[in-house]
Amino acid sequence: MRGATPIQSLLLRAGLYPMLFGQMIRRLLRPPFYLRETLLQCEEVGVQSLPVVLLTAIFTGMVLALQSYIAFHRFAAESMTATVVSMSILRELGPVLVGLMVAGRIGAAFAAELGTMRVTEQIDALWTLSTDPIRYLVVPRFLAALLMLPLLVVLADAVGIAGGYLVSIYMLDQNPTTYWNNTFLFLKQIDFYSGLLKALVFGGIISLVGCAEGFYCEGGAVGVGEATTRAVVLSAMSILVGDYLLTAWIFQ
Amino acid sequence: MSKQVKIATRGLCKSFAGRPVLDHIDLDIMTGESHVIIGLSGAGKSVLLKCILGLIRPDAGSVFVNGENWCALSAEARLSRMRCIGVVFQGAALFDSLPVWRNVAFVLLQQGMAERQARARAEEVLDWVGLPNIADKMPAELSGGMKKRVGLARAFCHRPEIILYDEPLSGLDPVMSDVIITLMTRLHEEHRVTSLTIAHNMNLVRKFADRVSMLYNGKIHQQLPRDQVDQCQDPVFRQFVEGRAHGPMQVLTEKRKGGSR
Repeated sequence: MRGATPIQSLLLRAGLYPMLFGQMIRRLLRPPFYLRETLLQCEEVGVQSLPVVLLTAIFTGMVLALQSYIAFHRFAAESMTATVVSMSILRELGPVLVGLMVAGRIGAAFAAELGTMRVTEQIDALWTLSTDPIRYLVVPRFLAALLMLPLLVVLADAVGIAGGYLVSIYMLDQNPTTYWNNTFLFLKQIDFYSGLLKALVFGGIISLVGCAEGFYCEGGAVGVGEATTRAVVLSAMSILVGDYLLTAWIFQ
Repeated sequence: MSKQVKIATRGLCKSFAGRPVLDHIDLDIMTGESHVIIGLSGAGKSVLLKCILGLIRPDAGSVFVNGENWCALSAEARLSRMRCIGVVFQGAALFDSLPVWRNVAFVLLQQGMAERQARARAEEVLDWVGLPNIADKMPAELSGGMKKRVGLARAFCHRPEIILYDEPLSGLDPVMSDVIITLMTRLHEEHRVTSLTIAHNMNLVRKFADRVSMLYNGKIHQQLPRDQVDQCQDPVFRQFVEGRAHGPMQVLTEKRKGGSR
């Protein structure tokens, strides 16, 4: 934002997200498409995020089972532990925690990578090599996050429920058959699909914020650092606000 | 517009925060010419280059390449015409995530050339710049001089008609500087490439330029052929050529009366 006042700068920055989003959508409608880059980004967003996502999910399921059991034990409703674990993970904790973890990992990586490319003139170089930088750099990252977040959430849901099962059966001596039945007894399809919808939206938020912050980064190494921080903070905040809005809309 | 003119700017203006950096720049670069633009740091040389490339939108004026007004073209149309230009960036701007050969053959691969053919062409050009056997290295493994030569190979690999150089000798030792000048001269003479170079280095001007333009206060202050560089008596031009701190171009603030404490 060379030469802009702080207020102009803020307004310009706020306008970057819809602008980049609009440019991406226009490019999604017309070839060329960069399949190789999209697959590479799917590997980065999906496969590389698996360890951190699954570790988060299993411990969340375990602690949720432990806490729920302690609470339900006070009024002899321990059998509800399984239902609370599965419903909480599918509707809330799965998508939100995966979103936050991926925001920390991928949102930061997108902003840092594109920001470094910007300040070292690599994005300018793409343009001079007859390649549209938004099509080559931003669209594959956006598509990868959109595709991979729901898949990560499905795996996190399964592992989270398994974590709750392990604690409940092997630590809290609950009946395995009853626990398994109660896990699914009160679940509806909307509980699962709402989590997937949230994951899709969070994937869009993470990639858009990370890419916009990096793509329009200015100011050398300091600028890249600031862009990376902003990408993580804004993605995380947007995920939490978006989660409330989506929950209120889906379950109204 | 004459057929001889390869690149032309007409009334090109650009300001940042109300400060004019380019002020009605009219410039003609003829086909097959090597044109060097000199000027102080911050004089707007790189801004001029970026305006020509479409990386910065000028406030006013036009850029003509091959007689076509590029400022009037859509982004897509401009991208499709960029193949006639190769650019060597100041810091080489190699793609960190790609091996050297993919950097060099980038345009060919984007055009759909088979990987084997593109690699063969990349290796041929790398050999030409004196860097055989580095095709599989990553840019991070290269020295500054090697990066510059790979950058030159990338700019030339798809055989453009025009090459733009942004301070091609910055950060290089005298020997490597001479290597780069030799390569630029060979490219210019053997392949009749039209060149526009942003430079500070007078050695490069004397060896490589057909014509020199000096950018000062947002305007083309002087434009003259290479053989008149050392005869020009303009005080601003002389100060730059002789590399003096004192002269009509005020770089240092005046010493206060009575000395500083």
